[in-house]
Amino acid sequence: MNLYDLGHVPWLDSQLIYHALPRLGLEGLILLAPKEPYVCIGYHQDVEQEVDLSYCRRQGIPVFRREVGGGAVYLDGQQLFYQLVLRRDRPLALGDKASLYRRLLAPVVQTYRDLGVDARYKPVNDIITAEGRKISGNGAAEIADHLVLVGNLIADFDYETMVRVLRLPDEKFRDKVFASLRENLTTLKRELGRIPPWETMTATLIRNFETLLGPLTPTPLPPAVREKAAELAAFYTTTDWLHKARRRPHKGRRVKIAEGVEVVRRVHKAPGGLIRATVEVRQGRIESAEISGDFFFYPAEKLAALEDHLAGVALEDAEEAIAAFYRAHAVESPGMTPRDLALALGAG
Amino acid sequence: MKIEGYEFPDDLWYDRHHNWARIEGDVATIGLTDFGQALAGEILYAELPRPGRKITQGRPYMSLESGKWVGHIKAIVSGTVLEVNEEIEFESRIINEDPYGQGWVARVRLEGQPEGLLRAGDPEFAALIAAEKKKHGK
Repeated sequence: MNLYDLGHVPWLDSQLIYHALPRLGLEGLILLAPKEPYVCIGYHQDVEQEVDLSYCRRQGIPVFRREVGGGAVYLDGQQLFYQLVLRRDRPLALGDKASLYRRLLAPVVQTYRDLGVDARYKPVNDIITAEGRKISGNGAAEIADHLVLVGNLIADFDYETMVRVLRLPDEKFRDKVFASLRENLTTLKRELGRIPPWETMTATLIRNFETLLGPLTPTPLPPAVREKAAELAAFYTTTDWLHKARRRPHKGRRVKIAEGVEVVRRVHKAPGGLIRATVEVRQGRIESAEISGDFFFYPAEKLAALEDHLAGVALEDAEEAIAAFYRAHAVESPGMTPRDLALALGAG
Repeated sequence: MKIEGYEFPDDLWYDRHHNWARIEGDVATIGLTDFGQALAGEILYAELPRPGRKITQGRPYMSLESGKWVGHIKAIVSGTVLEVNEEIEFESRIINEDPYGQGWVARVRLEGQPEGLLRAGDPEFAALIAAEKKKHGK
């Protein structure tokens, strides 16, 4: 199979080349990084709901919609991307999604291990450290009868800019997303205390992908791929494509941090008033909760205690936990039941 | 009837790409089969064709996303989309939960008769599902 080891390339090329290859019937493994940072949204996302477009415009940060799934991400030259394009009829490309991800990500897991990070695959598409922190983001698409897998080795990560480019309801929520990202997403630099040389990272990836794919032949990018990429650019850089998906706004905002970890803001209208809840959920359990709104809650100082009480509670048990708290502390909240609070937290 | 543990109602037509069609006169209601939704996994997003769009049997007409994986679904019939199930764009999981009921995808005014469709009771169909199950490790 051909290997296109391209180093740092103009940001648009870092997306267009893997979109072009399958359309030309070409397989290959592409390794690259963008020279300039940009924001990339998933195929089905509504860019206006996900990204602070005016901030990106002011900062000169381009925004791109990919054909691959997943969420909005901030990409830069500190992330080494692998983009694998395989014909869909290859035995290697058969199976259900979980087994395909497991198979195709095995070389990446091994690369992290070879670099000194005790990494493992976590279904469906994450690679995590022994402490459970995500250290690689991955997505896939079926393009022109090919399977395309894209993902990254994260050498370093700009957490501040990542949370700044997202469209979030307020600064408090932004702080929460930032804290959750810092806690749940790690990098080679944080794990090893240093960034391995670029050449070491690429050579290790190549060696491990050869175990899966067979010999990889370093190949210059064919002119036809450049031509197809230029042709695709005419479409993929249009406003129509970027704003393609319009979704009905959800009641609230959800930012997925890693598999099973998300920060959610919900608004629930109870008869006694509006409830706003910001919840960090990990594997179905409340990690932390903040509750506010224009409801009445007596004794008022018990609201913070209720938030503490909810830490560690499974979402499905939230209503019962709140009801128990009400009983223990003789809480009264006219027009707002434990069920209303549980609904605001995302239970039910 | 059940084939390999998956439900396939007797009154529907099926293709080889895990779609079903209920054909009434020149209008077909179409969707994903129970096996198709299981193969897709938990569906997070779906992008549906707009009413008025012409779709062609065997050609992609909608996309689904599960596990950050975007796949394209081939149409079971040819024709003009009359109506789509907008609920799916809001809550795509109803395809997983009720593929033959609330999870219907579109109604299509047929252009020509679809070719090669099968009934759940056809031995060829049971063999197809068994082979697909083995191929995809379901």
